[in-house]
Amino acid sequence: MKSLPVLLLLPLALLAGCSKSTPPTGPGTAARPLVIGVAFETLQTEYWVAGFEAIRADLKQRGYPMLEAVADGDTNRQFDQVRNFITRRVDGIILVPKDSKTCLPMIKAANTAGIPIVLFNRPADRSDARAVTVVADNFALTRETVAYLVAEAGKSGRRHQAMILIGDLGDPNAIGRRDGFDAAIKGHEAIIDVVARIPTEWNQEKAQAGVVNALQAHPDLSFIFTSSDFLLPSIVSALKSAGRYHKIGAPGHVILGGFDGDATAYQMLKDGYLDATGVQDVYFEARASVQAILDLRASKPVPDLIPDPGFVIHQGNLVAKAPQMWGARLARK
Amino acid sequence: MNAPAAAFDPRPPRPAHPRPARLRRALLADGFVLGLCGLYAAAVAPFTPGFATAGNAVNLLVTLLPLFVVALGQTVVLIAGGIDLSVTAVIGLASIAGAMAMNAQTGWLAGSVWAAPVGVVLMLAIGAAVGAGNGLAVTRLRMPAFIVTLAGMMGYGGLAVWLTKSKAINELPTAFNALGGRLGFALLIAAAAGGLVHLILSRSLFGRWLYAVGHNARAAHISGVPVAGVTFSAYVGSGLLAALAAVLLTGQAETGSPVLGQRILLDVIGATVIGGTSLFGGRGKVLWTLSGVLFLKLVDNSLNLLNLSLFTITMVKGGVILLAAVLDALRTRWAGFRR
Repeated sequence: MKSLPVLLLLPLALLAGCSKSTPPTGPGTAARPLVIGVAFETLQTEYWVAGFEAIRADLKQRGYPMLEAVADGDTNRQFDQVRNFITRRVDGIILVPKDSKTCLPMIKAANTAGIPIVLFNRPADRSDARAVTVVADNFALTRETVAYLVAEAGKSGRRHQAMILIGDLGDPNAIGRRDGFDAAIKGHEAIIDVVARIPTEWNQEKAQAGVVNALQAHPDLSFIFTSSDFLLPSIVSALKSAGRYHKIGAPGHVILGGFDGDATAYQMLKDGYLDATGVQDVYFEARASVQAILDLRASKPVPDLIPDPGFVIHQGNLVAKAPQMWGARLARK
Repeated sequence: MNAPAAAFDPRPPRPAHPRPARLRRALLADGFVLGLCGLYAAAVAPFTPGFATAGNAVNLLVTLLPLFVVALGQTVVLIAGGIDLSVTAVIGLASIAGAMAMNAQTGWLAGSVWAAPVGVVLMLAIGAAVGAGNGLAVTRLRMPAFIVTLAGMMGYGGLAVWLTKSKAINELPTAFNALGGRLGFALLIAAAAGGLVHLILSRSLFGRWLYAVGHNARAAHISGVPVAGVTFSAYVGSGLLAALAAVLLTGQAETGSPVLGQRILLDVIGATVIGGTSLFGGRGKVLWTLSGVLFLKLVDNSLNLLNLSLFTITMVKGGVILLAAVLDALRTRWAGFRR
């Protein structure tokens, strides 16, 4: 028993005693490829997988090794992973945080270590922590997408009962999309009556349950916007169960819109079930994130916010825009 | 005709199978898992970049301490023959309650010098209250601990999300953030909690009651042990320690979040069992739990540094925990109820 404290200290002493740092990977070391740490909060949806792979491909093309970490929605785990990157003296960090607040200590830790950090697709709250953010204008792109849907609804000459599936409100992108939806609806109350707002917390099961309940409570519901395309299968399942899943132009068609531009959305557009979706350019965001790290390391000026212009894809421009849609590329693979 | 009697041999009988006997002794030794930690660290250090550095030792400690504090509570409950699945929900609920009270913009303690201490007390009180609810349901309503605490995990977790509409809350007092964010403070808090629980378990009458209840509740009751009171106190302690872990985790993240700690339940129970605390009750020690937490974190940390994916890490950890559960069954069979 008396040797227990000694035993207890042994592993930590082993760690602490072997060396002070990892010598070959310090920043500024000449003639070696840069090592970039990429920490994603989740790989739960196609968008994040596509983003992760796009960053990996971009780094590979440039000849830079990538250290990867996925936190599976656990903020503290992600902080641990960022600290591990710092311990390994990576040359840059690309981070997808869980939300806009819990990432601030991570950014500060990278700042203190002098490691450039870029937020991929999710911005942080304003603070003294310094990071570059590459993100689509979620508000504007959603407003544009929903405006198209409202125009389509207006063609029917009747009032539509509408539903929005809202994401995790800790995620600024979800808030931007919700506000973009509201802004597009504003002034068109004669056409659109929002009767259901489903908080999904980015969870498919919650989304499906919410849609099923809403369809039961509002059988005349005929307009659905989802804040992310990854929830489309839940909507389709609920609509099918209610016998409400019909193609565009068919009687009883529920006007459907989304955001992201994933492979499911592309297939539904192609098959004539989805009216429109706002597409984030995942390849642009990946390229811009890596480039921002390189520019920061080279002390070049980099804006705090690099906007992804994105675009709305709908039945009218499907053929022309599909080659730029990341989901279409995935679907064709 | 009777067979001739064998000559008396004063030496203890040799075990029929010396190797299993040695394995038994090793498995039952107090320092078994700690020894494994040392061996594991020595084995992976040469080929894990950044593993054998002072910075990584600090990282390891920072992430180890909150898990150790939650696992302490789980140890107490497991010793008493129960289980507490609601600890992760307690962490989320205590985290957002404290953050709501202390937030510099909207908190009712905003700007007060008492914000940090009152916030901490509030968080601990919430943990104790949830633990008391669990304890009452298990002892008074005689409900299975698994169901009570599973329902608690869902109910309190849902309450935390509902209260905040899923939003994280930051702008907390610097003094509060330092409790979890500064290693010295966090170490002090975790050491104090560990020391206190160790003293209770090893030096107090309550500790002996706890083992007796976990060992055989009916026998303990006949012997005059207040079984219901002891079980109730174990759950209160678990809730309290989960809330203390929430203080550390919230301070580290500088943010209160309803989903803080949501994913660590497997680590909490896994680390406790890896250390040697029995899932069958009646056996467990603080040092065992500490060694279990250390082992799990060493595995996690090294696999992270080896750039393995989360899925691989999760699979390996699952395997380690399963192995620990098998060892627990073996220990229980071999040791009887040796403590």
